[in-house]
Amino acid sequence: MSHEILLTQLLYGSAGLLFFLLGAWSFISHEPLWRKLIALNIMGAGVFHVLVAVVYRGLDTPPDPVPHALVLTGIVVAVSATALALAFGRRLDREEPEQTSDVQGVDDREDGTHA
Amino acid sequence: MNPLLLGFDLLLSTTLLGLALAALTSREPRRGVILFIAFGLLLALVWARLRAPDLALAEAAIGAGLTGALMLSAARRAARRR
Repeated sequence: MSHEILLTQLLYGSAGLLFFLLGAWSFISHEPLWRKLIALNIMGAGVFHVLVAVVYRGLDTPPDPVPHALVLTGIVVAVSATALALAFGRRLDREEPEQTSDVQGVDDREDGTHA
Repeated sequence: MNPLLLGFDLLLSTTLLGLALAALTSREPRRGVILFIAFGLLLALVWARLRAPDLALAEAAIGAGLTGALMLSAARRAARRR
């Protein structure tokens, strides 16, 4: 029984670690804002995975509720951070094209700054 | 050791990893966001499996639903700009 719990913890914990690493790689290496936001959310999912997997105590014993409360807060905060980032991105989009005149420059600038 | 449960765990984890990889490497905004929504819904299944039904509900409603809707509107703008 104890082995089964440990195996489940290990499986989901390592999956969470992989999610975090994948998200961090994507967050660093990809330019556009929407890709960075997906990467950030997947990084958060990895952290939540680890937190929930660590307190898992089998199917018939209730787990520790404190990390669950932390993860619940984390989900809400991640959503509000995403919404804030999208609002900032939209604002930047609206302000940016007025500052440059030639079309090529606008394209370059947009790809670079909104990433 | 319950082989059925272990199989379910492995299937869920590999599907989730595949979805995350597909969402992170997708070049088209709409496609990436839809893959991310699918990822969030399967994540809710993981929370239910790990005895956290409150997290499962919050993840399905807020994590997948609200974030997905926000990102879909942003993805439409990103696709129009290209």
